[in-house]
Amino acid sequence: MSWHDARTCFWIAVIIYGGSTVYSIFLWRKGFRRHDYVNYLLLAAGMIFHTSAMLLRGLSLDRCPVNNLYEAMTFVAWTIAAAYLVLGLFPALRHFGSFVAPIVFGIGVFALMPALDVPYKDKPEFSNGLVSLHAALSLLSYGAFGLSAVAALMYLTLEHDLKFHKLRALLALLPPVDRLERITSRLLWAGFILLTAGSAFIPFLLKQHPEANLASDPKVPWSALVWLLYLGLIVAHTRFAQSGRRFAWGAIGTFVFVLLTFWGVNLLSPTHKF
Amino acid sequence: MTFLVLGLSHRSSPVTLRERFAFAEAAIPQALEKLRREAGAAEAVILSTCNRVEIYAVMEPPEGQAAAVLRQFLIDYHQWPDPLRDEIYCHTGCRGLEHLFQVACGLDSMVLGETEILGQLKKAYDTALRLRQTGGRLNKIFQKAFNVAKQIRTETNIQRGSVSVGSVAVELAEKIFSSLGDHPVMVIGAGDTSEKTARALLSRGAHSILVSNRSHERAEALAGELGGRAIRFEDWAAEFSGIDIVISSTAAPHYILDRPKLEGLMKARKNRPLLLIDIAVPRDIDPEIKFLENVYLYNIDDLQEIAGDYLQQRKDEIARCQAVIRDKARALLLSAPDRLVDGSKLAAGDT
Repeated sequence: MSWHDARTCFWIAVIIYGGSTVYSIFLWRKGFRRHDYVNYLLLAAGMIFHTSAMLLRGLSLDRCPVNNLYEAMTFVAWTIAAAYLVLGLFPALRHFGSFVAPIVFGIGVFALMPALDVPYKDKPEFSNGLVSLHAALSLLSYGAFGLSAVAALMYLTLEHDLKFHKLRALLALLPPVDRLERITSRLLWAGFILLTAGSAFIPFLLKQHPEANLASDPKVPWSALVWLLYLGLIVAHTRFAQSGRRFAWGAIGTFVFVLLTFWGVNLLSPTHKF
Repeated sequence: MTFLVLGLSHRSSPVTLRERFAFAEAAIPQALEKLRREAGAAEAVILSTCNRVEIYAVMEPPEGQAAAVLRQFLIDYHQWPDPLRDEIYCHTGCRGLEHLFQVACGLDSMVLGETEILGQLKKAYDTALRLRQTGGRLNKIFQKAFNVAKQIRTETNIQRGSVSVGSVAVELAEKIFSSLGDHPVMVIGAGDTSEKTARALLSRGAHSILVSNRSHERAEALAGELGGRAIRFEDWAAEFSGIDIVISSTAAPHYILDRPKLEGLMKARKNRPLLLIDIAVPRDIDPEIKFLENVYLYNIDDLQEIAGDYLQQRKDEIARCQAVIRDKARALLLSAPDRLVDGSKLAAGDT
């Protein structure tokens, strides 16, 4: 299987995610009044191609495919879509798909930009699986943060409709606001634990690569900032009763910051060869 | 054989007349037997609710004669002495089937789309079935009626939403809180509407209720009825930190809860979501409060507007439901015209 087969599979996945996004717009306009399997099936179909794309790339490397920006972005999108497919098994959470589709579509389109998928001259050098584990755990955490942003977006939508007495708040088959807030919080915790676990490998990686100069790597302060932002969000929520809209906007804002700066920081990073 | 529906409902007669023609539940077996023996009904079901008294029957005589016999039976059974005009209606053939289907779907109910009638209809049918007063024809007709009701419920919005203030409040609460059982309710002012709203919340799982009223005796009485606890009116703010749902309906001429006061209380509640239902006129709760985070405020107009929107939505569905019912009634007749009604009438367009 070639490099391009994997990209072709991902192209198909992104096209299906695009279809799901268009369909989601109609569901938004109709106010999520009926249980809908179509979007779930569309995202599941997209996931089949998405998974195939990652599998093909991974098999060609014999490692977890997280070695350039394209692969990192596909991994994050995959995490979000996969988590949705599990959550969507519960009918009450199935409309998550309408919020997930635009995000995975957006990430997918971004990942497909040609400059991001730089072919390696040789297979990436892995002395053992630690780098893979570090990268996979970190990217999984971004997936969890992405999904928490989705839950927060659903929260804001429903909360706005309830605040302003819109009938569609009652007609929409969305979970209650307190459950959405709980889901947002739990996903943030999951993401934070994954990010912390991924970062915990850094000292071991430095032992293996003493030549790495983290002092000049902008990814280090960036990662610390992201970790602190999420820690702050969790502490504010659990210890200082910062809940509701502020908490939801915090989850969305932090994830948007991650999305907007992730690629730039990685391009500047000498040790993260993205 | 003729299938016919004969009776009175809230559309044709006042309650003073309907109550005279109502069948007591215990008297229905005897009435069915009498209907068979004296009026010559081959099969019959009697439905008697607060809004309608109807006999569904399959009879040997032709339409006009069967209707007259059944009408006379109803009048004689209840010993009604005065002349009646249009209070008693009769529908036969396809129109009769459509009427039964409409009743099953709640289209003929006082509260459009209500579902209680379907349960009452099933019970009436079960009674007749148990007493062997139904046969192949009515069994088929009633099973079809129940199927149509199910189809209408799943495929249309005729039964969607709440059309009373209390049930709208419950729906709102369920959009904010996952489980009402975990969220204490406070009733401030023991009025009739607040009592109904509290009862609606209780019926959906709420179980911790505090009642506060200027007259403490009244608060205690209502708390006793609701299985809650009464607190003195001057103490309600002290209990507020544990409360998630407030129903307020005092006769106070001014706001009893304004923004500065609630801001302090929300801190004590650690900013947990709070649903405020203000059904008092003049209002008890300052509308500025709705701008506070995690606070959801609805007054009586808001609730009535939602109930009105729901009702309008149901009305908009009537034509769709009627079309389904018409198709199903015709299909039923066409599947067995000789068994249910006179097939030639159907061919002539008796719908």
